[in-house]
Amino acid sequence: MSKELSASSCHEAIEFFYSKPWSDGMPVIPPTKPLVAAMLSGTRRDPSAVIGLVPPNFEALSVQRIAEHAVMAGAKPEYMPVIIGAMQAVLEEKLNMHGVQTTIHGAAPLLIVNGPYAKTIGINGGRGCFGPGFRANTTIGRTVRLILYNVGGGYPSASFSCFGAAIRYAYCIAENEADSPWEPLSVTRGFKADDNVITAVQCDSPQLVHDDANDDPKRLHVSTTDCMASFGGMNAYRATDMVVALAPDIADNFAKAGMSKNEVHKLLIEKAGRRVGDTKRGGLWRIERLNRYVTPVDPNDDSCWIPTIQEPSRLFLVVAGGRPGATTAVMHGWNETTRGVSVKYEV
Amino acid sequence: MSFEFLDPTVATSISVPLAKRPLNLNGRVVGLFDNTKEQADIVLEALGEELMRNYGVKEVMTRRGIHYSRPAPRDTVEEMARKCDVVICALGG
Repeated sequence: MSKELSASSCHEAIEFFYSKPWSDGMPVIPPTKPLVAAMLSGTRRDPSAVIGLVPPNFEALSVQRIAEHAVMAGAKPEYMPVIIGAMQAVLEEKLNMHGVQTTIHGAAPLLIVNGPYAKTIGINGGRGCFGPGFRANTTIGRTVRLILYNVGGGYPSASFSCFGAAIRYAYCIAENEADSPWEPLSVTRGFKADDNVITAVQCDSPQLVHDDANDDPKRLHVSTTDCMASFGGMNAYRATDMVVALAPDIADNFAKAGMSKNEVHKLLIEKAGRRVGDTKRGGLWRIERLNRYVTPVDPNDDSCWIPTIQEPSRLFLVVAGGRPGATTAVMHGWNETTRGVSVKYEV
Repeated sequence: MSFEFLDPTVATSISVPLAKRPLNLNGRVVGLFDNTKEQADIVLEALGEELMRNYGVKEVMTRRGIHYSRPAPRDTVEEMARKCDVVICALGG
């Protein structure tokens, strides 16, 4: 059971949190026993059940701890199933949260929620989904961050992140399934359409790409694939994940041209890339780093093509955002030790 | 009137004080841990030679991690803790 603390007032308790490294810089709601008990009513899981070990300190994360942090973040009890699912995904070994907790980079696990429960509790996948302004998105994402702080010990003082990133406050969206012409990410990843699924992918901040001048796929992919192949992203130099979120209007233009989601996925993989001669002008290019690629790269052949997406399973394609919006969000990845994780969660 | 709330932190991790530093390396076993980042091995190899040649180090033991973004394997940490008087970690780049 957690230790009980006391203050003279709620406001003083909030200030007490500021005197510790326990908040993300914004006020937290003090986790009182009644509020934590109410939060626990949002899940059927036993409060003492351990979900996993949180790096870098590898401390055990119980459902009780999750509820305390959900209170602190301002979440509602009905968000608990999503938060528990998110932590299951984040703590899966192959996502390598340990590496991101301690990296110089500013990546964070992007949470993409699919299935009917996201709609029930109001996780926004439409207009303004990356925020600010949506309680479910913000507080689910914030709960995850506060747990990474307080349970994992991944405070800024322990992290090596050079700049940090705004996405480290909260990074949670739903897929805009209602406005998508295609099947959702969860189905692409082998789940049923009515399953409640959460996918975590280690990502950089969204780069927004705009194109309101084209509807022919031959031209429509260009700004997106150029951004995907940017030398500012890690994907130009190694095999790692990437999320591309097409706004509904952009997805519709591909669909109206007769393209399936799989065909758009293939098109983006085929067109995003750089040649060796271009890549070796600078950036992270180094001969001894060629083993970070999966495809053969001949450093002596300037015409050799380096695909930005080194393996098809590393590109996560979703539809998100609102109408109107001729926009695509490209979220570059982190490094070769991570793999996106999808978890079916119980409501 | 007091306002009660729960401490959300977990503190089962034990802080271990830093090991006592030897005054010199004479007759000591020095471990060199390479975190796999490029050129860490080159730096450590040169360092190991220098320590043997000019600092009286008895033996140098070199080990390599799995990947610089992953924790050092527990077996390696325990082996180095058991066999070495001093361990130097290097990361390349």
